[in-house]
Amino acid sequence: MLAPLFFSLASRSFQRQIAYRAAALAGFFTNFFFGMLRAALLAALYNARPEMAGISLAGAVTFTGLTQAMIGVQSLFSWYEVMNSVYSGAVAGDLLKPMGYFRFWLAQDAGRALAQFFLRGLPMMLFYAIFFRITVPQTFGQWMAFVLSLGLAWLLCFAWRFWINLAGFWTPNALGLVRLGFILLYFFSGFLMPLRFFPDWFVQLSAFTPFPYMVNTVVEIYLGVLQGPQLLQALAQQAFWAVVMIGICQLTLSAGVRRLVILGG
Amino acid sequence: MPPIIQVSHLTKYFKVSVHHRGFWGAFRNLISRQYRLARAVDGITFQVQPGELVGYLGPNGAGKSTTIKMLAGLLVPSGGEILVNGYLPWRERQAYVAKIGAVFGQRTTLWWDLPVIESLELLQYIYRIPGDRFRRNLDEFRQVLALDSFLDIPVRALSLGQRMRADLCAALLHDPLLLFLDEPTIGLDVVAKERIRQFILHINRARGVTVLLTTHDLSDVEKLCERVLIIDHGQLLYDGELTSLRDRFGGKRRLLVDFAQEYVDPQVEGAQITVREGSRVTYEFERNTITASGLISRLSELYRIRDLEVREPEIEETVRRIYEQKLLENH
Repeated sequence: MLAPLFFSLASRSFQRQIAYRAAALAGFFTNFFFGMLRAALLAALYNARPEMAGISLAGAVTFTGLTQAMIGVQSLFSWYEVMNSVYSGAVAGDLLKPMGYFRFWLAQDAGRALAQFFLRGLPMMLFYAIFFRITVPQTFGQWMAFVLSLGLAWLLCFAWRFWINLAGFWTPNALGLVRLGFILLYFFSGFLMPLRFFPDWFVQLSAFTPFPYMVNTVVEIYLGVLQGPQLLQALAQQAFWAVVMIGICQLTLSAGVRRLVILGG
Repeated sequence: MPPIIQVSHLTKYFKVSVHHRGFWGAFRNLISRQYRLARAVDGITFQVQPGELVGYLGPNGAGKSTTIKMLAGLLVPSGGEILVNGYLPWRERQAYVAKIGAVFGQRTTLWWDLPVIESLELLQYIYRIPGDRFRRNLDEFRQVLALDSFLDIPVRALSLGQRMRADLCAALLHDPLLLFLDEPTIGLDVVAKERIRQFILHINRARGVTVLLTTHDLSDVEKLCERVLIIDHGQLLYDGELTSLRDRFGGKRRLLVDFAQEYVDPQVEGAQITVREGSRVTYEFERNTITASGLISRLSELYRIRDLEVREPEIEETVRRIYEQKLLENH
C-alpha cells in the first residue's frame, strides 16, 4: 500500500541526482583519481608478492575500485540531510504528513543511491576494467550474492547515517557528532584497506560493530574470498545488523521527535 | 456535537540555558550549566466547535505559535490535556495528521526544490487521496487560488504570496476537518491578503472546515472571525465574540457630521467635538452614555445636517489597549 509513495519519492530523488551532471562528473573523476592513487599504494605494498591474506594483487586493485565506486552509492563520507532538515525547520512540514519519517528518508536515499550507482558506481568499475586488470565474480550465484550484499550494505549504511543525523534533535550543533560517526565508519568498515590486512584483534573488535557489513562484506563476496556457508553467514549478519540498526533508529527517532523544539514562526 | 478541539490547563515550558558571562564564564559554562524554565504557554483552557472560525491573537512571544504547534502534534505539552478530533496529537501523530491541515506563514510545508505540481502530486500518495477526489479538489483550488501560472515552478522560486497559495492548496487537498493557520497573511500585500482571506472564508463556509488562525493583522480577524481568543504571556486573556470585545473595551465611538452650514460652536450634550474643519465636525461619544441614533436625533433637532457617518473604534486600537493597559488582567 505504501509502495507508490516509496517509488514516487525515490524516483524524484533519482531525478534530482541526475540533474546535477557537472557535480556527478566532478565526483566521479575525483573518486577515480584517488582510486588510482590507492591502487598504486597497494601495489607497492604487495611488492611483487602474488597474494596477501588470501587476496591477489588483482583482487587488491579491484578492492580499491569497488570501494571508490561505493563512496557515492553508500554516501560513505558525508550525509547531513536529516540534521539540516531539523535545523532549517523543514522537519516540521514532514512530520505534519501522515508518513513514517524513517521510510520517507529511506525512499529518497534509495533514489539517490541508485542514481549514484549509474553515475559513479558503474562507470568506476568500467574505467577500472579499462585501465587495470580486475577480477569479477565467477558464477551467477556469486553475482546474485554480491547484489544482495550490496543492497543490504546500503540499507545498513543508510540506517547508520540516519541514526547519527538524529543527533540534530538533541543539540543545536551536531555537526561534530555526525562527522565522528563517519570517521568510525571510515576506519572500521574496511574502506581504508581490506580488514584481512589488519591485526586479528582489530578484525575481532570491528566484528562487534555494524561497520564491516557496510563495505568489507560486499568486497569479500565480490572477490570470492567468502564462499559457501561463510558467504551465507555473512549475508545473515548483514541482515541482522540492518534490522538492529533500523530498530535503534526508530526508537531514537520517537524519543527525538518528543523533544523537538522548532524555533521561530 | 462534541467540540473538535478540547484544551485544558495546557502548558509548555522550555528549558533555557543561562550562560555565565565573559571569558572565564565561557569556561564555567563547560562545567556547569544552569537552566531557567521559560513558560511559553501557561495553563490555557478552551474549546472549539466543529465549523468555527476562531482567531487566536496575541503580541510577539505570547505563546500563539507554541499553542498551534502543540495542537498540530509537533510539540509535546509539558502539562495539561489536549484532545483534537479525538486524538492526542503528539502521541498518535501519523493517524492524527492525516485529518488535519496546517499552514505556517513563515515556512513552507512543501518541498523546496520540487515544482509545485509535483509536491501536490506527492501529497496524493502521502494522504492516499482517491484519484477522482484529488482531481476534483485540485481543479477547484487551482481556480479559486489562481495557481495555474506557477504550478511548474519550484517552490523556492515562488513569491511569498504564491507560496502561501500553494501551501494553502497543499493543506486542503485531503479534505481535512481542521485547518491550523499560523500567520497566513504575514508579509503579504493588500491584494494578496484579500485573496487569502476570501479563500479561508470559502473553505470554512462551503466545506465546513474548522479553522484556527493566529495573526498579527487585525483586519484578518475583523473580516474572518466571529470569535477570538487573546493570549499574552502564555495566558488566555479573552475568549468570546469579537463584537462584545469591542463593546467592552472599544473605547469611544465617533460620529462624523457634515453640516448644511457652518455653525459657530455646534455643541451637543453627551458628545465632545474632537475635530472641526469648517462645516465638517467629528464628535466622540461613549457607547454607554448615548446611542448613535440618540446622538443623531439630538443633533438634527439643533442643526441642519447634510450627511453623517458613525465610526466604530478600530479593532487594532482596541486590542492594543488590551495589551498595553492590561485591561483583562483581573478578569
